[in-house]
Amino acid sequence: MILRRLSVLAVTFLAIVTLIFGLLRLAPGGPFDGERALPPEIEANLRAAYHLDEPVPRQYLRWLGNLLEGDLGPSFSQKDFSVNDLIAEGLPVSLTIGVLALIIALFIGVIAGTTAARHPGGMIDGLIMSVVSLGLAIPGIIAAPVAVLVFAILLQWLPASGIGSPAHYIMPCVTAALPYAAAIARLVRGAVAESLLEPHVLTARSKGLPELRILWRHVMPLAALPVVSYLGPLAAGLLTGTVVVETVFDLPGIGRYFVQAALNRDYTLVMGVAVVYAGMILIFNFLADLTYRVLDPRIRALA
Amino acid sequence: MSRRLKQICCGSAVAMAASVLLLCIVLLTLTSTSVSGFNAEDVDWESLETPPDDRHWFGTDLVGRDLFTRIAEGGRLSLSIALLATGISVLIGVPYGAIAGYIGGRTDQLMMRLVDTLYALPFVLVVILIVVVVGRNTWALFAGLGAVYWLDIARIVRGQTLRIRNANFILAARALGATTPWIVFRHILPNVAGPALVYATLTVPGIILAESFLSFLGLGVQEPDASWGVLIADGTTTMESAPWTLLFPATFLAITVWSLNLLGDRLRDAYDPARVRA
Amino acid sequence: MSSRLLCLSLLLCNAIMTPLVKAADGKVLHLGLAGEPATLDPHRYNLRIEEAVLGDLFLGLTTFSADGKLMPGAALKWDVSEDGLTWTFYLDPKGRWSDGKAVTAKDFVYSFRRLINPETAASLAYFMYPLRNAEAIANGQLKVDELGVRAVDDLALELTLALPYPHLPERLLYPTAYPVPAHVIDKVGDAWVKPQNWVSNGAYLLRDWKPQQHLELARNPHFEPKPAALQVFHYPAANTQNAWNRFRAGTLDAIAAFPANELATIRTERAAELHLAPQLSMIYLVFNTRKAPFSDPRVREALAIVVEPATLTDKVMKSGDIPVGSFVPPMVADYTHPALSHAGQPLGDRQRRARALLTSAGFGPANPLELTLRYATGTDAKRANLATAAFWQQIGVRVELHQSELKVHYADLRQGNFDVAQAGWLGESNPEHYLGLLHSRAGDTNYGAFADQAVDALIDDARRQKDIAARHRLLAEAETAAMKHYPVMPLFALTSRRLVRAELRGWHDNPRDAHPARFLVR
Repeated sequence: MILRRLSVLAVTFLAIVTLIFGLLRLAPGGPFDGERALPPEIEANLRAAYHLDEPVPRQYLRWLGNLLEGDLGPSFSQKDFSVNDLIAEGLPVSLTIGVLALIIALFIGVIAGTTAARHPGGMIDGLIMSVVSLGLAIPGIIAAPVAVLVFAILLQWLPASGIGSPAHYIMPCVTAALPYAAAIARLVRGAVAESLLEPHVLTARSKGLPELRILWRHVMPLAALPVVSYLGPLAAGLLTGTVVVETVFDLPGIGRYFVQAALNRDYTLVMGVAVVYAGMILIFNFLADLTYRVLDPRIRALA
Repeated sequence: MSRRLKQICCGSAVAMAASVLLLCIVLLTLTSTSVSGFNAEDVDWESLETPPDDRHWFGTDLVGRDLFTRIAEGGRLSLSIALLATGISVLIGVPYGAIAGYIGGRTDQLMMRLVDTLYALPFVLVVILIVVVVGRNTWALFAGLGAVYWLDIARIVRGQTLRIRNANFILAARALGATTPWIVFRHILPNVAGPALVYATLTVPGIILAESFLSFLGLGVQEPDASWGVLIADGTTTMESAPWTLLFPATFLAITVWSLNLLGDRLRDAYDPARVRA
Repeated sequence: MSSRLLCLSLLLCNAIMTPLVKAADGKVLHLGLAGEPATLDPHRYNLRIEEAVLGDLFLGLTTFSADGKLMPGAALKWDVSEDGLTWTFYLDPKGRWSDGKAVTAKDFVYSFRRLINPETAASLAYFMYPLRNAEAIANGQLKVDELGVRAVDDLALELTLALPYPHLPERLLYPTAYPVPAHVIDKVGDAWVKPQNWVSNGAYLLRDWKPQQHLELARNPHFEPKPAALQVFHYPAANTQNAWNRFRAGTLDAIAAFPANELATIRTERAAELHLAPQLSMIYLVFNTRKAPFSDPRVREALAIVVEPATLTDKVMKSGDIPVGSFVPPMVADYTHPALSHAGQPLGDRQRRARALLTSAGFGPANPLELTLRYATGTDAKRANLATAAFWQQIGVRVELHQSELKVHYADLRQGNFDVAQAGWLGESNPEHYLGLLHSRAGDTNYGAFADQAVDALIDDARRQKDIAARHRLLAEAETAAMKHYPVMPLFALTSRRLVRAELRGWHDNPRDAHPARFLVR
């Protein structure tokens, strides 16, 4: 069972990276367009050094072969570094932000959603859900610059850019997390509200169990289901978010590399980042899927 | 029908507010020049980067262009792109989902497997690459966004199709000898169109955000055209000396997305009885 | 709750303390770079940004003084033969690599050969084409040993040129002429640029490079005289806003650029830290003479004469750049800059003449001239080109603007894929460096493919002179002859806009924007 899913994963991964490789090679322009044309000899040597003179399918197979050995190739734009080097430097930063943002989003979302669901239709519910819908409407591209304007420039409480202290991570992670906190809050509210009406919860209530215990043991597992199934898109969304956040807050992560490398036609770097992203999302989806099966006894019964 | 619509738009105070705001914004995008007296490209050399005053209601940007007009034109572009991309996604997604759902079996499995694979793709990766490949023009933008957003609609339509494929009128048509294409186009599509369109309206704000995101990174709409994403990106570079250049477009984007989300949700709740409203 | 407050206050303290700690340490410099270097191999470099860092790491035969003038570097003196073709450089016997080995003439021979060798694929190898046989070797027609470089003995290096070139010492200022450690490259190949293998002969060596974060340089123990700073950190800025933020936060001692719209504020609030220095550069409009109607000199003249560089710089961009009246920038000394034919005429007259020229070329209200103006992305560029388009719209021309990112823009220019474009050229302090762009055999850098035999002849003749005054005279004639046909319209020279802390001494503004870290003292 799991093996089958893993093989599907592998095929999906291959399909994704092939698609990206193909798209990138279709793009006009090459990595060596500079301000001055290179003499033909030199250009030929450059292209040969990077195997760009080979037919594209051959380049693809070569790249794939290297990938299986863990070698993502040299970077065309950062000539003194290999793609492995660059990703090794940037990935920790991107991961830190992504994971922190995930935790913040889950934390805020679950608490907000549960609180709102306990008194559906009431004032707290209305208030929380209004804030939530605002959060959904304010994307990272707005939240991040406005946060810099308010907290870094006007109030001078937090640093405007770079890394180097925990304070540097506050604004990036929070602004990246906000839209997803809102989405999770909505999901949780719906799920908790539904499950509070379920027979087994009413039974537990009538037995006199404390409210918190009911929430934790009976409601949460079921309410967690839609959140877990949302984890896949959540991971993908957070990756999107880190690109903006890294740009606005000047963070040395791999999201920034992706856009810059795409614009510079640094093929290997784009592929490297794409591989890392695709890999992470697929693994995340896989784990979310497994968790879902574990949590929902109905599916387990079917299997 | 219209009573339901009224209920959706005006049923609660918040919904009223959202509808009114949305209407105002749409009107604005359609009439900008005649109202403000400026063109989006007019450069006012006397007032570069000036705060709001009685001539320039929202101030000017750093090249001297009237921000009010730019926001209105930007709204027009953002909304048109969103509508067109939604249209494309509907055109692809609805038939795809209907065919998969109706034919069923291995074909359905295969088609849905493709959808699942594409779903796993990080959207930003693919769209950025499409934009880089095709070049930076707005048509590439429609194509890219439409190509990513049809997946959800296909899934919804497939679900709806599965529900009605064994309904009596379908069985009757089959018994009468109707071919599969005929059934799909004449019977299935009209019946799934409703829910499909409802979900389509929910993709509009998503596409507006996606386009803004791309334009913010410099990969979307190009100079001298402006969309809200471009205006926000420009505003970010001057937000200290001219905060109005960031705050006005950002507010417009947020309000539009918020009201579209709100009204879209109410629309969906009204049409989809399977959802529980607590 | 109280533990959260504690955490928050600790975080805040951390945020506040860090810049204070950095500022107090005078032995360390924190300098901002305009972007990230693509490589630290001096033979493979391409960008101005890299020149700044490479200048700290290596010492060429000649080098920049603290105020950006040329001075002896690895070579203490040099002389030229009678015919101007043979230069002999006498190396400093105290010159050392950072691992203690002596720097010899053989190192320079190795380095020049490596630069010109087509296998190195050095994109700026053409900087050293004045050397005899260099161009042929780079094109694969001759072997590398035929290059006009020779080690007379350990401390004397002989360079042989194809044609006399009195500006050779200036050409040797670029990193392309820096020596590289043969003994390291022979052992580890291309990995010699990695910090763990790094050996160089400049004031500093490379200790560490974290991409997107910083480059860490440490003092070269064998370099004399010892520089004041023990360590230098170069920080690449993702954009000018970030550089500006960091400068204000106190984490950087100097930054290479700040957002153009902040200039007014900075002039009033930070006048002591603002450094505006005119640069040896030329921003100009180039017309594609291959493409009708821009092949018609009347059309080019009409478009050129109605553009007002002074309006662009002073009213539109307000960036401190310097409007120019000739194709060779005003900072080039010992040269009589010939004025353009329309200089001094009032705008109204010029607009009338422009309309008349367009009419005679077949354009008018019924048949307006339509063109696309291309430029590379940038805030100042946007403003300037919108204004240029406005100038043309005033004489009835329909203008569409097209912006692309830098690489794509210049790729299009090289391929002749444009009508009119804004282009830029950073140069040396001699007129030939600019006028060479108008020579018909200049190759791809003559974006507009301008070709005029008289101009070519004058430039060729100038290149055969070994006396600078004679060269300049002929080049002035060439400029006059060329500009009559308006192949380009010179607009302005760039001004570098930097912020430097007042406590940083040793910083001298100069037209090459050269600020070697070894002269900086806090």
